Amino acid sequence: MARLELNAVGKSFGPVRCAEDLSLAVEPGEIVAVFGPSGSGKTVLLRMIAGMFEPDEGDILVGGQSIVGAPPERRGIGMAFQNFALFPHMSAQDNIASGLRARAAAGEVAARVKSISRLLKIEHVLGHMPRELSNGQKQRTALARALIGNPEVLLLDDPLRNVDAKLRYEMRLELPSLLRRSSAAVLYVTQDYREAMAIADRIAVLIGGRLVQVARPEEIYARPASVAVARLFGDPSINLAEVEPVAGQGSLNAEVAGTPVRLDAADRQVADHGPCWLGVRPDDLLISRQAGENAIPARVVAITPMHEKAVLLLRFSDGSEWLAALPQNSAMASAEDGVFVRFAPEAALLFDRATGLRVGLPHRRQAA
Amino acid sequence: MLPYLLSLPALLVCIAILVPFVTAAVYSLQRYRLNLPYLRGFIGVDNYIDFLSDPAFWNTLRISLTYTALTVVLELLLGLGIALLLRRPTRFHNAVSIVLLLPLMTAPAIAALMWKLMTNPSFGILSYLVSLFGVHDFKWASDPSSALFTVVLVDMWVYTPFIMILLLAGLRSLPRQPFEAAALDGVPSSFVFFRITLPMLAPYIITASLFRLLDSIQQFDIIYAMTQGGPGDRLMVFQVQAYLEFFQYTNVGRSAALLMILWLITNILSNIFIKNWLRLRARAHGHA
Amino acid sequence: MDHSSLAGRIFRGVALALVLAFFMFPIVWIFLMSFQTNEQILRIPPHILFEPTLANYQALISGQLRTAAGNLEISFMRNLINSFALSSAAVFLALLLGVPAAYAFARFKFRLGETIAFTLLSFRFAPPLLVLLPLSLYYQQLGLNDTYFGIVWVYQLIALPLILWIVRGYFEDISPDIEHAYRLAGHTWREAFTRIAVPLAGPGIAAAGLLSFIFCWNNFVFALILASADKQPVTVGALAFVTASGIQYGQIAAAIVLSVTPTLLLALYAQRYLVEGLSLGAVKG
Repeated sequence: MARLELNAVGKSFGPVRCAEDLSLAVEPGEIVAVFGPSGSGKTVLLRMIAGMFEPDEGDILVGGQSIVGAPPERRGIGMAFQNFALFPHMSAQDNIASGLRARAAAGEVAARVKSISRLLKIEHVLGHMPRELSNGQKQRTALARALIGNPEVLLLDDPLRNVDAKLRYEMRLELPSLLRRSSAAVLYVTQDYREAMAIADRIAVLIGGRLVQVARPEEIYARPASVAVARLFGDPSINLAEVEPVAGQGSLNAEVAGTPVRLDAADRQVADHGPCWLGVRPDDLLISRQAGENAIPARVVAITPMHEKAVLLLRFSDGSEWLAALPQNSAMASAEDGVFVRFAPEAALLFDRATGLRVGLPHRRQAA
Repeated sequence: MLPYLLSLPALLVCIAILVPFVTAAVYSLQRYRLNLPYLRGFIGVDNYIDFLSDPAFWNTLRISLTYTALTVVLELLLGLGIALLLRRPTRFHNAVSIVLLLPLMTAPAIAALMWKLMTNPSFGILSYLVSLFGVHDFKWASDPSSALFTVVLVDMWVYTPFIMILLLAGLRSLPRQPFEAAALDGVPSSFVFFRITLPMLAPYIITASLFRLLDSIQQFDIIYAMTQGGPGDRLMVFQVQAYLEFFQYTNVGRSAALLMILWLITNILSNIFIKNWLRLRARAHGHA
Repeated sequence: MDHSSLAGRIFRGVALALVLAFFMFPIVWIFLMSFQTNEQILRIPPHILFEPTLANYQALISGQLRTAAGNLEISFMRNLINSFALSSAAVFLALLLGVPAAYAFARFKFRLGETIAFTLLSFRFAPPLLVLLPLSLYYQQLGLNDTYFGIVWVYQLIALPLILWIVRGYFEDISPDIEHAYRLAGHTWREAFTRIAVPLAGPGIAAAGLLSFIFCWNNFVFALILASADKQPVTVGALAFVTASGIQYGQIAAAIVLSVTPTLLLALYAQRYLVEGLSLGAVKG
C-alpha cells in the first residue's frame, strides 16, 4: 500500500487562488479529514488528486511516484462523491462492479461485489436502479464502488452531506472500521467538525486555500492554531473577549468585562504581547451564584436545550455576550438570574488579535 | 488537444460554410456572368449601386418586407390565440397541439403543392368554397391581386404551429402564483392578460417571432413552388430573385450582391436574436 | 383564468373547431384526393363520398403515369428512395461528427468550440442561397455536383447545427462527476464517453437525429440547386411532376401523400422533443 503526498501544491482559477502551498502526507491505512468552511478549497484539492484538473504548482505523489499529468484512470484512486454520482442507467450491482471490470477478471467480479455489499449492508438492493434507492442506499452503493477496487488512495468528498441525520450518525460509527479494512490512504472531506473528529486520525484544517493546522482531532480542539480554527471547532462556538494580558504576581492577569481574572501562570511570557483574544469554550465555563475571585458577574438572558446540554446566553455588564454549556441536570439558573461566571485558568486560550494566531502554550487537559 | 480533435469535423463544416460565404462576398464585387466569362472583373460596389436605381430591387425589398411583416404578425396573433385556447394541459388539448404540428412537419415545398391543388381554378376545393359565397373566378396565386394573400395563407398554414408550440410551452411553464393571486383578488381577465401573461411570456414571444422573422424574410420554398416569384414580379422576394439572377440570367455578381444585402438584414436581426436566445437558453439549462 | 361561462365555452369550442379545420383540412383533403380518379376530382360540386381507387398509387409505384397525352415515365419511387437515402446518410454522418463535437463543446469550455458553435448558429439564420450558389460553382470544379456525396455533405449544414446545439444541451445536463467516477474506476475518456455520456444523452441524440432527418427530408432548395433528376428527393421531384403537363391530379395527390407520410409519422413519434428541437434547445419542453 502506498502513501499519498502533496508537495507545495498550488492552484488558481483566474484571479481566484483555490490552493496555496498545500503540503500533506497521508500514510496507508490512515484517515485524514480535510475540514474547512465551504469555499475553502476542499473539493478543489480532492479533484486535483483525482486528476480532474492539474495543480499549477507543486507535486502530488502516490507511493513516491508523481501522478501529476496521469489520466484519472491510471492514478489508482477511488472516490465517493457528495452527490453520489451513480451511473443512472446501471443497476447498483453494475455500478459497484464498474470499479472492477476494468481491472479484474470477470469470474471474480460477482464474488467481490457480493462481499463488499454485504459489508455495506446493501445486498438486498443490488438489482435496483439508482433512482429506486434511498439516499442512504445510494451513499452505500457509491462507497462500495469506491472501495471495491482496493484503491491505494481513497477520496471521500463529504459523503454524508446528503444523507439524513440518523444515517449520518450510524455511518460515523461504521465508517472508520470500514475504511481501515482497505488500508488505503484516505482523504475525507467534510464541513462538519464533529464528523471529522469522529472519523479521522488526523484533521487538516483548510481555510482560504491554505492548510492552517494539521493535527490529531483532540489536539486541534485543545490547541487550535488560530482563532479561526478555534471558532470552527465546537458547537456552540468558542467565547471570545478582547483582552490585554499583564503579568501579575506569579500569574498572568487580564480584564474580562471589567472584572480582573487570573490566567494560567505558564502564559506569563506573553504578558507583554499586546492586544489578544481570550477564548474560552462554553463547556469550560462554570456558573455559580456566589461572587468571589475571578468570578465575572453576568445576567442569564436565555436558556436553550442543545444536545445533552443546556446552553445559557449570558450578558456581562459591558454588554458583551458569552455562551455557557452546562449538563442538563446540573443545578440550573433560570432566565433573568444574576450569576457569576468562572473558568479554570488553564482553559483560557490566547490569540494574537492582529494575526489570529495562538500565543503561549497553555498546558491544558485533553478534551474528552 | 482532445477537444480540438473532437470538434475538427464541426470545424470542417464551418469552413465549408465560410469559404462559399467569402466567395459570395467577393463575387458581389465583381462583374461576373456565367455566359460572358471574359467580361469578369472587379467592379467595386457597382452591383450594389446599380440596385439603388433599379425598380426591380426596390420591388424585391418591398415584397420581402411586406411578406415578412404580414406572416410574422398574423402568425404571432393566431399562434398566441391558439396557445391560449390550448393552455390547460388536458388530454384533448394535448392531442390537438400534437395534431397541429403536422403542417409544420410537412415540407414547405410540398405544402405549397397541396395548396396549389386546392386552389386550382377548375377543380380546387377552395375555389369551389369561395364560389359558394359568390366569389367566382377567384384566381388565388395566379392573380397579381391575390397572389400575396395566397402565399401568406400557405406560410401561415405551415408556420403558425411553430409559434403556437413555443408559446404553449412558455405559457405552461409560467409560475401559477401570480394568476392564482389575481383570481383571488378578482382582477379582470383583460388586465391579467396584458399585465401578467404577456409580460411573462415576452421572452418566448421574442424568441418565436425572431425565429420566424429570419425564416420569413428568406422564404423561398413556398413562393418558388407556388409561383416562382410570379405572377410577373409580384412575389419576387430576395432569395427567389437571387435564384433567378443566378440560373436564369446567369448574373452571379448581381445574385451575390442581392444575397449579401439579405444577409446584412438577417445579420442585424439575428444579432438581436442570438443575444436574447443565448440568455434564454442559459436559463433553461439552469446556469444563468 | 377558467372561462367557465357558457358563452366562453361555446366561443372556445367554435374557435378550436375552426383552428382544427384550417390546419387539418388540407391534409385530409389531399389524402382523400389521392384515392380518387380524375373524373371524381373534376366533379363539381365535389363529393365527400366516393369509391376509392388505388390506381394513383399503382401508377406511381410502377412509374408509368397516365396523362392526357398518354403514358409518361416518371420514376417517383426513385425520388422517394433518394429522400430516404440522402436524409439517412446525412443524419448518420451528422451524428457521427456532431455528437463528439457537442460533447467537446459541453465538457471543455474552449474558445475554438465557442467560435464554432456560434458560427454554425449564425449561419443557421443566414440565407441558404448565399452559401449554396458559390458552393455549386465549387462543386462543379470539384466534380461533386449531382453526386450523392455532395448532397449529403451540404445537408450537414442543416443537420449538424441542430445536432450540435441540442445534444450539447443534453451533455451539459449530465453531471461531470458521473463521468469522473467512471474514469476513476479505470476507464479511459473514450469509454466514459461511449458508456456513460452517450447513453445518458440518448434521448437528446435520438430527438436531434429524428428532427434532422425531418428537416433534411423536407429540404427543397439544396437539392433543387445541386441535384439532377435521378438524384432528386421527393420535394424537388414532386414539383417537376406538377409542371409536367397533363398529369392526373390524383397522382399528384398520391405523390404528396407518399412524400409527407414518413415525416409526419416521425413527427408524431418524436413530438415530445419537438419543442426543444425546433427552438434549438432554447425552450425545454
